[in-house]
Amino acid sequence: MPLLHWTLAFALAAITFEWRRDAVEIHGVPDPSSVRDLASQFRVSVAGKDIAIPGAYDVSGNTVRFRPRFPLQDGLTYEAHWGATTNTHTIPKIVRTPSTSVAQIYPTSSTLPANQLKLYLHFSASMSRGEAWRRIHLIDDAGKEVSLPFLEIEEELWDREARRLTVLFDPGRIKRGLVPHNEVGPALVEGRQYKIVIDREWPDATGTPLTAAFTKTFTVTPADRTPPTLTNWRIQTGTSLTVDIPEPMDSALLQRLIWIVDPKGERVDGDIRLANEETRWIFTPSTSWAPGKYQLIVGTILEDLAGNRIDRPFDVDSFERVEMRLTTKTKSIPFTVPSAATPK
Amino acid sequence: MKSITQCVLAGLGSLALIVAPAAAANLNASLKAGKAELKSAGPLAFAPDGILIVADPAAATVYAIDTNDNKASNAPAAEVAGVNEKIAAFLGASADQILINDMAVNPISKRAYLSVSRGKGPDAAAVIVRVDAKGKIEELALDGVKHAKVALPNAPAADAKDRRGASLRTEAITDVAFVEGKVVVAGLSNEEFASNLRVIPFPFTGVDRGASVEIFHGAHGKFETNSPVRTFVAYHINGKPHILAAYTCTPLVKFPISDLSPGKKVMGTTIAELGNRNRPLDMIVYKKGKTDFILLNNSSRGVMKLSTEKIDSYEGITKQTDVTGVPYETIAALKGVEHLDKVDDARAMMLIRGEGGSLDLKHLALP
Repeated sequence: MPLLHWTLAFALAAITFEWRRDAVEIHGVPDPSSVRDLASQFRVSVAGKDIAIPGAYDVSGNTVRFRPRFPLQDGLTYEAHWGATTNTHTIPKIVRTPSTSVAQIYPTSSTLPANQLKLYLHFSASMSRGEAWRRIHLIDDAGKEVSLPFLEIEEELWDREARRLTVLFDPGRIKRGLVPHNEVGPALVEGRQYKIVIDREWPDATGTPLTAAFTKTFTVTPADRTPPTLTNWRIQTGTSLTVDIPEPMDSALLQRLIWIVDPKGERVDGDIRLANEETRWIFTPSTSWAPGKYQLIVGTILEDLAGNRIDRPFDVDSFERVEMRLTTKTKSIPFTVPSAATPK
Repeated sequence: MKSITQCVLAGLGSLALIVAPAAAANLNASLKAGKAELKSAGPLAFAPDGILIVADPAAATVYAIDTNDNKASNAPAAEVAGVNEKIAAFLGASADQILINDMAVNPISKRAYLSVSRGKGPDAAAVIVRVDAKGKIEELALDGVKHAKVALPNAPAADAKDRRGASLRTEAITDVAFVEGKVVVAGLSNEEFASNLRVIPFPFTGVDRGASVEIFHGAHGKFETNSPVRTFVAYHINGKPHILAAYTCTPLVKFPISDLSPGKKVMGTTIAELGNRNRPLDMIVYKKGKTDFILLNNSSRGVMKLSTEKIDSYEGITKQTDVTGVPYETIAALKGVEHLDKVDDARAMMLIRGEGGSLDLKHLALP
């Protein structure tokens, strides 16, 4: 943010007011050190609100300075009172050209199961909180907005930089046996086409709208209640290691919950990329592969698009699948880098 | 959101509110003076002696802060119309540039404490303000305040980065409470979909960071899932402390606190479902006559009142046809209640969204 500093001095009797975002100064105050209670004499408030903003006061010569607890807000009008003298000032609003956009919505696939659990909205820069649930829309193929498809939690599941938002489809409508599932059914209906629409008006962290609205269109496939298993994963060695998975996996977990350990049991450092609509995990080690026996380690809380974990479905049918209760935290697939391995 | 459950005689019933442990008197001794550097201020709850428990989701940390607000009073915080606008003005901002995250009432002074974000971006400042019986708003100073903190067990570290330098995994904290000498924290990951209830002994020792427990719930006896807890409250069943938890996917589930041991998988008993297109928000327990009641505010189904008389004997929803579970009544007149906390057994305070989006701090005579 550019540092703005400006002076607006108004001659009011013998004193003048100077406004900055981080301070309000009154110049020309005769004998300010004789003022016993500066906080009563010198009050700064939002215009029209009779609530003094807390802050710190100091005196320098004939200048009294007030430093507000927080920087004054762009575009907001304030009043400063020195005894019976009032000075009003609007902090200039910085007009910014929209520059933030929706970078991607995961899953990237154009088909999603009817029990799709999550979406990840990736933005090119930090966003504002408190707006999400009126800025994201699910529109069906008749052009009608689906009512309350998402779990609208006030906390909003952002990452720390507020660049990625996790959106959960309402789990009560997905889980079999619950009232919402039985009464209103899932938000997504098999065979139909939907659009996720992100409003352009969603403000980024600077309060500026997005560069454009964003739309993702997808078709709904049957609900997926089959947990993924490692037995059908295919590993190919080369300069990069490629793991092909028969179905798309949760993009965030796919990047966090798979790693490689070397023959000594140490984690191999490198870069992870996803490809082929989150069905391919590509790992490029920081240093070239040494020949030997490696293991691909997979956290069992890795989820597919419908929240099914490795060997454990999203909603366990507890009478029929008690054997599915997995307790191990990781599973592994061994692979060998041959001594003659030649990069592809 | 949740004050410490207070010492109330059980009367003739088998239910009693949880009794604060006798050792509570010296909790302040564990707190050290310094700056409580909150990265964010989320759910709030009061422990004994005016100690405020503050969840800091951005830092995956829980703070215990001495509010030094121990003067007993029977006069609750005044009602304040447009409290969001007044707090915003106090912070030198417009109402649309602050977020009010939670509200808790100090059971001693009866002042209302609100956790606030000043700003809406990732650099928003965390502020705690309190409202007194005259409606005056002041900030709880976090400089030189006696406090302690503990990092949540099994939580992403504040500086954790992925291999591309991005710190993506975080956890929202949806509720916090002080129960029988422990801080209980309900959270929701922004990646894996899981139940994660943390139980952290207080005073914080720095060694015992508590247990992380998965709570499962049944759905009509057939499907078993785990799911994040949205809000919860503690009370006794047959002399044993239990937690009544409302899930994000609407079942209301009970389980004994004694089940909350490290690594344990807890199967809760589903006693009610709260209806579709609805999210549970806050719960309080209070006593009226000889009966304990639970008041629960929801996102779209208003405020529900449940008698606890039958919860202890209720065997849980076990059949597909058995939809409603423990009976509850809906307080139709109460709409738009976003936050709720108990003042005493006769009164509560609420943050209620009025016409035109104004947020009002109001009293509620407990029904």
